[in-house]
Amino acid sequence: MSIRLWIDDREVLAEPGERILEVAQRQGISIPTLCHHPALPVLGACRVCLVEVQQGKRREITTACNTLVQEGMRVATDTAEVRGHRAMNLELLRARAPEAPAVRELATQLGVARSRFRPPAQNPLPNCILCELCVRACAHLGHHALAAVGRGDKKRIGLPHNRPAEACVGCGSCLSVCPTRCILLKETATTRTIWGQTFELVRCKSCGAPVMTEAQRAHAIRTKQLPEDHDDTCELCKQSAASQRLASVVW
Amino acid sequence: MGCRTCELACSFVHSRAGALGRPRIRIHAQGRGLEAGVIKDRYLQLTCLQCAEAACAKVCPTQALVRDETTRAIVLVAERCIGCGLCEAACPFGHMHFDRQIRLPLKCDLCGGSPACARFCPHHALEIRP
Ligand code: SF4
Ligand code: SF4
Repeated sequence: MSIRLWIDDREVLAEPGERILEVAQRQGISIPTLCHHPALPVLGACRVCLVEVQQGKRREITTACNTLVQEGMRVATDTAEVRGHRAMNLELLRARAPEAPAVRELATQLGVARSRFRPPAQNPLPNCILCELCVRACAHLGHHALAAVGRGDKKRIGLPHNRPAEACVGCGSCLSVCPTRCILLKETATTRTIWGQTFELVRCKSCGAPVMTEAQRAHAIRTKQLPEDHDDTCELCKQSAASQRLASVVW
Repeated sequence: MGCRTCELACSFVHSRAGALGRPRIRIHAQGRGLEAGVIKDRYLQLTCLQCAEAACAKVCPTQALVRDETTRAIVLVAERCIGCGLCEAACPFGHMHFDRQIRLPLKCDLCGGSPACARFCPHHALEIRP
C-alpha cells in the first residue's frame, strides 16, 4: 500500500520504508546534502538536509535523509526557518573545512559568506567534516578499517586505536567518497601510502604501470570478485593484447 | 586510416571543465611499419564491447554500472560509485579506466545513442546499428 504525503504542498505517493530525501529527489525537489550517498547506509551526520515535518499536531525540524515517510505527512523543504537552520549548520561545517570547495560552494549557495567559528585546534585531519562517508564506504567493501573515535571536540576519523590496521587494503575508496577530499593519499611508482600505512602496488607485467595495491588484489581474489589467475596488466596493455588477438583472427 | 579523429571526438564530448577527457575509444596500429617506402600498418579500433555479462558491472560493489535499456550500453551512475577501482581491474579487455584524479571510472556510454566517434569519422568506418 502506497503512502500519501505532501512535499511543498505537492501531493506525492511513496512506498513504506522510503525516506523523505529520496522521495523528494524523485519529484525533482532538491534538498542539499553533504553526507548522503545513495549506495551507502544513511547516517544524518551533516544536518544540511533539514526540512520541516508536520505530522498531525506535531511539527519539527528534522533530517530528510533518514526520516521515514508516513501517511499524511506534510513536508516543507524551503521555509525561512529551514533555511536558517541549514545556514547555521553550514557555517559550523565551513569552519571545520575552510579549504573544501564542496563545502564552500554549498555554503555560498545557502548565503553563508563566512564563518564566525574557528576550526578545531590540533585537528589531525584538517577539513574533515565528520560525515563518516569514508567509514561507511570502507565497511560496505567489507574492510571495516575506519572508525570515528573520541567524542565532542575530540571526535575524529581514523584507524581504530590509531594503530596500523590490517583491515585496510589501501584501495582509496575512502578518499573517493570524501566530500572534502581531506584524506591524504600518496603514490610513488611502486607504493601507495594512505592513513599512514604504505602498500606495495601490483605493477603491470608488460609496462610496469601501477595497477592496484597487492592487498586490494588479494582481498578481491579471496572474496571471488576477481579470478584467482587475475591478469596483472594495466588497461592499455590489456587493450594492446586484445588488438593483437583480434588482428590474428581477422587478417 | 588511423587518423584518430574518433579518439579526439570522444575526448572532446567527454571533456570536463574545458579539459579534454581521455578517449574511451582507441586506435591500435597493427602492422609491419614501412616496406619499400610504403606504410604497411593496419589499424584496429577498440572500444567497450558493452558485454552481455559485463565483468565491470558484476564486480561493482554498489551496482553503479547498469544497463541502459534504450541504448543497451553499460553506463556509470556516478552518484552510486564509491571509487574502489575494481571495475578497471575486472575488465578483461582494458576498456575501463579509473581516473585517479576525479576518482571515477571513465567508460564508453555510447553517447546516449549517438556516438561522437561514429559521427565524426571522416571515412564513415564507424557506424552504429541497432
Ligand atoms: S584505503 Fe583502507 S581505509 Fe580507505 S576504504 Fe580502502 S580499506 Fe578502507
Ligand atoms: S575524512 Fe572525509 S569522508 Fe571521512 S568523515 Fe571526514 S570528511 Fe567525511
